Amino acid sequence: MRRLLQTALLLAGKDFRVFFRDRTGMLLGLALPIGLVTVFGFITQFAFRGGDMPRAELWVVDEDRSEASRLLVAELERSATLRLRPEGDEEAHDAYELMDDGEAHHVLVIAAGFGDRIGHGDVPELTLLRDPGRTMEDRLVRIGLSQAVTTVTRGRLIPVLLGQRLRDVGLPEDVVAEVVQAQEAGRAALENYLAQAAGEGGSGGDTAALDVQSVFSNLVPMTVVDRQPPERPRMLTYTLAQSVSGITVMMLMFGLVACGGTLILEREQGTLPRLLSAAMPRDAILVGKFLFAAAVGLFQLALLFCWGELLFDVGMFQRPATLLVVSVSVTAAVTGFGVLIAAWAKTTKQAEGVSTLLILVMSALGGAWFPVQLFDLPVYAEIITRSTLTWWAMSAYQQMLWDQASWTAPSVLQALAVLWAFALATSFLAWHLFRRRYTGG
Amino acid sequence: MMRTNELLAQDEPLLEVRDLSYSYDTVEAVRGVTFAVERGELLGFLGPNGAGKTTTLGCIAGLLSDWKGSLHFDGRDFDPGSRTADRATLGLAPQELALYDDLTGLENLCFFGRLSGLAGSELDTAVEAALELSGLAARAGDRVGTYSGGMKRRLNLAIGDLHQPQLLLLDEPTAGVDPQSRSHIFECLRALRRSGRTLIYTTHYMEEAERLCDRVAIINEGAIVALGSCRELARSIGQVEADLEQVFLQLTGRRLRD
Ligand SMILES: Nc1ncnc2c1ncn2[C@@H]1O[C@H](COP(=O)(O)OP(=O)(O)O)[C@@H](O)[C@H]1O
Ligand SMILES: [Mg+2]
Repeated sequence: MRRLLQTALLLAGKDFRVFFRDRTGMLLGLALPIGLVTVFGFITQFAFRGGDMPRAELWVVDEDRSEASRLLVAELERSATLRLRPEGDEEAHDAYELMDDGEAHHVLVIAAGFGDRIGHGDVPELTLLRDPGRTMEDRLVRIGLSQAVTTVTRGRLIPVLLGQRLRDVGLPEDVVAEVVQAQEAGRAALENYLAQAAGEGGSGGDTAALDVQSVFSNLVPMTVVDRQPPERPRMLTYTLAQSVSGITVMMLMFGLVACGGTLILEREQGTLPRLLSAAMPRDAILVGKFLFAAAVGLFQLALLFCWGELLFDVGMFQRPATLLVVSVSVTAAVTGFGVLIAAWAKTTKQAEGVSTLLILVMSALGGAWFPVQLFDLPVYAEIITRSTLTWWAMSAYQQMLWDQASWTAPSVLQALAVLWAFALATSFLAWHLFRRRYTGG
Repeated sequence: MMRTNELLAQDEPLLEVRDLSYSYDTVEAVRGVTFAVERGELLGFLGPNGAGKTTTLGCIAGLLSDWKGSLHFDGRDFDPGSRTADRATLGLAPQELALYDDLTGLENLCFFGRLSGLAGSELDTAVEAALELSGLAARAGDRVGTYSGGMKRRLNLAIGDLHQPQLLLLDEPTAGVDPQSRSHIFECLRALRRSGRTLIYTTHYMEEAERLCDRVAIINEGAIVALGSCRELARSIGQVEADLEQVFLQLTGRRLRD
């Protein structure tokens, strides 16, 4: 046993020496992850900083050109969910052409007569052209539109729309009329009061904040309090934590598959016969690869976390013990994975191809790219995502970073247990394959 | 400097191979090979490419498993594939260069020396001897990747001999080297033999076998077709003046060169 470990250490030391001597390989192994973390970190930080939602683009074709339509456009411009086109000197030509050119994904057409109809208290005609392939923006566009229309019509349309809706449901006409009348009266009273208050220079209540729209959208009394766990760094958003741990885990997998691949290299470069014929326990060859990959993995993690901390201040080192325990467990699991690929593959090419595929699929499914942890998935999908190594590694890091959990928390312990199960299972399988493929026993 | 067991069992061959057979998935590479290696001799394995030389050495060195037949070393059952101690008695210079190009010559020597259990002053002495044997002392600090083919061959050979094994297996130690390196390697082999080392050495070059070996085993299509000193082999085909080339042609009906 002692001889096995000694020999394994000797072999791992040799691999380390070769690793640091191969500049290109080292660059790929260490600099690439750092570069990726930097890029992804910046993207997520700037794209989603401060909880700002991304804006959806909306083209507007104003065929009415009335005061009311200009007001609507101005209101849309103020919307937090929309980015309005055309901008500056741009011109909106034919709406359908814009769609067909693929230039626009959502076009609002304000038909002629829009202003007149509003003036008469009629429902105005608005047409929204949309590209069915851009469902992501659709919701944002609808929110922005309905807010703007309500504001522009100063709530005047609400009774009319309400009446229409009630009729659609099939209520008797007399009931509809009664409800609409009551609504009209209420709106009129509010408008009268607001106009009066504006004329008198504001006496009863904060009338500036009381526009008609907010009356209807903020009816439910609610105090909104922004509060985050006291130990969580201010800069940290869920997406940044997600991105840092996701890219880290993914790059770790690539790195350690490459380390494990030096086992195949021993065969391809012809050094394997010499190792096999040496007077040493042959299992030391495999154990040496484990030690080498694990050491490189911990080194890579340390480097990445220091870099991530320096650049993004994500609070990586707030719980050193947890960081260490989680990182060691993740490294063990990923090392097992890397060595297993190496023991299984017949050639380096095969190992690279299969591992790239596996890593990308596991990263996508396990949440390294988008936060599948946040979605409500059907049971089978949940099972699939949770059967990936990535999911558990991410889960452990996310709980540490985002939930400020210690490694002794039950849910973290659960992730650690699964990671070690992965480590043991893959190692055992790797050993089995190694014996069959390399030592002929 | 004789080992005690050599004194005890002088006349017993060092290695006895009986009826050795080995098949890859579809190819029957070695078919019932029997021979013995005497202590201190340089036994040549002569045969064309694909004759089964490397496979035979692979079985002896424990690189291949599931071979049939029997191996005896020093009169004892020999199984280097599963017994570490049996591997310690062997040295191997594989046909494919077994070197780390990214390490220096010295680092390669030290690594493989430690791997076979050498340490401390013992390791230093062995490495020094290996550098002298290979004539690489001046380039010891350079990366092996920068060596010429001949230098790599010499290093490959010296590493195999680092731990002074009782039996040294050399698989085509002169493959692809320039004439200078080749004569250097010949000198190495002679020096090793003079120091009492037992060697098996494969080649597909006639002249080499004729110049160097005490005895030659001619191997063709997985079987030994003749075994003896060059003179004995010539006599066996009835032409005292014949060279190995003619012997081979006579015995196999084919020419040795590719
Ligand atoms: N790994 C292998 N798989 C299948 N066949 C092999 C393998 N290695 C060698 N052979 C075949 O076994 C035979 C003997 O090969 P080898 O022992 O390498 O010959 P030599 O060393 O004399 O050139 C050849 O026919 C060769 O094609
Ligand atoms: Mg060969």
